[in-house]
Amino acid sequence: MVQYIVKRLLGLLPTLLIVGLLVFLFVHLLPGDPARLAAGPDANPETVELVRKDLGLDRPLPAQFVRFVNGVLHWDFGRSLRTKRPVSEEIGERFMPTFWLTVWSMAWSVVFGMVIGVLSAVWRNRWPDRLGMTLAVSGISFPAFALGMVLMQVFSVQLGWLPTVGNDTWRHYLLPSLTLGAAVAAIMARFTRSSFVDILGEDYIRTARAKGLDEPHVVVKHGMRNALIPVVTMMGLQFGFLLGGSIVVEKVFNWPGLGRLLVDAVDMRDYPVIQALVLLFSLEFILINLIVDVLYGIINPVIRYR
Amino acid sequence: MKKLFRPAAAVAVALVLAATPALAAKDVVFAVASTFTTTDPYDANDTLSQAMAKSFYEGLFGFDKDMKLIPVLAESYDVSKDGLVYTVKLKKGVKFHDGTDFKADAVKTNLDRVTNPDNKLKRYGLYNNNIAKVEAVDDYTARITLKTPFSPFIAQLAHPSTVMISPAALKQWGNKDIAFHPVGTGPFKFVEWKATDYLKVAKFDGYWKKGYPKVDTITWKPVVDNNSRAALMQTGEAHFTFPVPYELTDVLKAKPDLDVVAAPSIVLRYLSMNTQQKPFDNPKVRQAIAYAINKEALAKVAFNGYAAPAEGVAPQGVEYAYKQGPWPYDVAKAKALLAEAGYPNGFETELWSAYNHSTANKVTQFIQQQLQQVGIKTKITLLEAGQRVEKVESWQDPATAPVRLYYVGWSTSTGEADWALRPLLDGGSWPPRLFNTAYYKNPKVDADIKNAQLTTDSAEKAKLYKDAQETIWNDAPWAPLVTERLLSANNKKLSGVYVIPDASFNFTEIDLK
Repeated sequence: MVQYIVKRLLGLLPTLLIVGLLVFLFVHLLPGDPARLAAGPDANPETVELVRKDLGLDRPLPAQFVRFVNGVLHWDFGRSLRTKRPVSEEIGERFMPTFWLTVWSMAWSVVFGMVIGVLSAVWRNRWPDRLGMTLAVSGISFPAFALGMVLMQVFSVQLGWLPTVGNDTWRHYLLPSLTLGAAVAAIMARFTRSSFVDILGEDYIRTARAKGLDEPHVVVKHGMRNALIPVVTMMGLQFGFLLGGSIVVEKVFNWPGLGRLLVDAVDMRDYPVIQALVLLFSLEFILINLIVDVLYGIINPVIRYR
Repeated sequence: MKKLFRPAAAVAVALVLAATPALAAKDVVFAVASTFTTTDPYDANDTLSQAMAKSFYEGLFGFDKDMKLIPVLAESYDVSKDGLVYTVKLKKGVKFHDGTDFKADAVKTNLDRVTNPDNKLKRYGLYNNNIAKVEAVDDYTARITLKTPFSPFIAQLAHPSTVMISPAALKQWGNKDIAFHPVGTGPFKFVEWKATDYLKVAKFDGYWKKGYPKVDTITWKPVVDNNSRAALMQTGEAHFTFPVPYELTDVLKAKPDLDVVAAPSIVLRYLSMNTQQKPFDNPKVRQAIAYAINKEALAKVAFNGYAAPAEGVAPQGVEYAYKQGPWPYDVAKAKALLAEAGYPNGFETELWSAYNHSTANKVTQFIQQQLQQVGIKTKITLLEAGQRVEKVESWQDPATAPVRLYYVGWSTSTGEADWALRPLLDGGSWPPRLFNTAYYKNPKVDADIKNAQLTTDSAEKAKLYKDAQETIWNDAPWAPLVTERLLSANNKKLSGVYVIPDASFNFTEIDLK
């Protein structure tokens, strides 16, 4: 197992290098001159040239790439073209808010989604199923920005129970994580349900029932473990997506997260920030996939890695 | 972060939050629409960052709430007969936040800094063209010598980027890091800047204007989403916000403790036409387009009535602006002009917008529909910032410029006609140099603008600018559309905060009941 993890981690390096090269080429292909954008509407050509030199964009492309890779190896991602602060600082101060928001959203939505999914599967085509799936479809269909605004309007503006924007206390986390988790909970519920429905039709479930095991035991002990595999895969994917920051939720709740940073960076053609963020997102996905693979082994001892 | 999630800490935080509604100190919160790029006005190109920097920085000159030019750190000034030498007398007894005295060497240090290309400041272009040298004659007299006479020079010194930074602080922090440690003479001193969250300033006790400022702190909070900003106003978490989107004015007006203010602006919206390309090389076609658009209806439809038809090439409120309009709405005349120009059945063309927000969307759709009435078919493209730079602002060869009809706006941040006309309509300002997106060139206008720079006689300037504006109006390189009104909202307890016509803020009189 350890050997396997080490092997996977080593395999990570070439992947990141390729991602780095692709994203570097990609951002330089975007239309629009970052020096011109940074210099602003009143600037004359001399000023634009000054800004270009200041940002290091006057050098040839290969030289810029070498500098970028060399910087990354020394944990230096350059400075943001927009704010002139180090990129590591820009990302650093937004990573934790995004991370915690992701964790809290995932936590409630996985628990909630799985409970609904299991209940729906056990009472298939009866009222708990209908109710659960109605909730799930609404969760997927209701756009996050609308949900966020409605929640804010009701709980912050009308009732005054919760703060509107910011991320200073645990109370600030309630509405955004509710908004962000709604869709995930819905997806988890539907996934768990379909996976469970399949499992509950298996022979070993019938055997378990036949030998007189009570229903909760059958569902939790024999059903759960086997149904979890696809659910865990989905969980990993969703976690990865949320870690990229949600643009909509971050905008509505003014959350200092990575999604907005990426949008701002693309708007201003802030090359160093875009590159570092894409690298970070790739790394996150690779790591999450690895964790999911390891979890498979734990959930189902039949799966072995070498 | 982690410890906040422990139940005990959570309860403690909740208790603290519950126990602090009483206003002991006067802490004001401004909710603004975007994050700040920098605190260094010489390196900023957005109005908002410069408006925020007014908390801790002041210039030799400035603008009052009606955008009238007033001396701030300057006492008075003289111009030599040839218009080349400006001698500025400075106020005495002004202190920087670091305790050093404000003297003439500060003027020299700051202007030398921005005109030195090695410092690579974004406002380099605004100063380098005209300042030859700056001298400190004595402690309270600065002498600025220009390369060529430039009569709007004082207006340029009043531009929000021309501020006085403490020379001692500049020396201590250096050219770049001063942006993270601003030290000026302003009413508030810098406390803290958390880029993602807020920028906070606190009352400077040694401020030269006795009795000011009247509040203890200002927290500048960037909140991007319009609805969220409105929510902050409704819950009382913010005292002032700008801009207020049109669709939310009624919601905010309905709140008894809020005021919604529509202030006049010098933000002019116009439709420029590429005069180097057919069919826009024919003035009759351009005039026809100007006639074909109902500006009154445009203001109602796209701006919810918070705009008025443009009354000239430079908006009212800009010094030496000449009122000539609005351009009448007359479809019959437009059709006649098109027929005379040889396009009785109209033609097809491109209509681009410099912005991709929803108001621009409404404006371009409205224009499209209006032009359809006279037979001109347009294809709308809302340009995203990068595309705008590539296809319009940095296009190298004027002969092949793809821009045709172009919806854009301009705010004259010096408040003076030179900056309203020269960058947009002078023959030397074609992209990529500046923003003459009409590729308009009229030797008469160019001469008027040049001569107005050279003269220091106000009556003479007024005459030259009037002549230039009349010529432009008749040549119609633009269809002038509307001047916007600036919508802000404030809590009734707050007073003395104004949105000034160039969309910057004036808050010298700020107070909280």
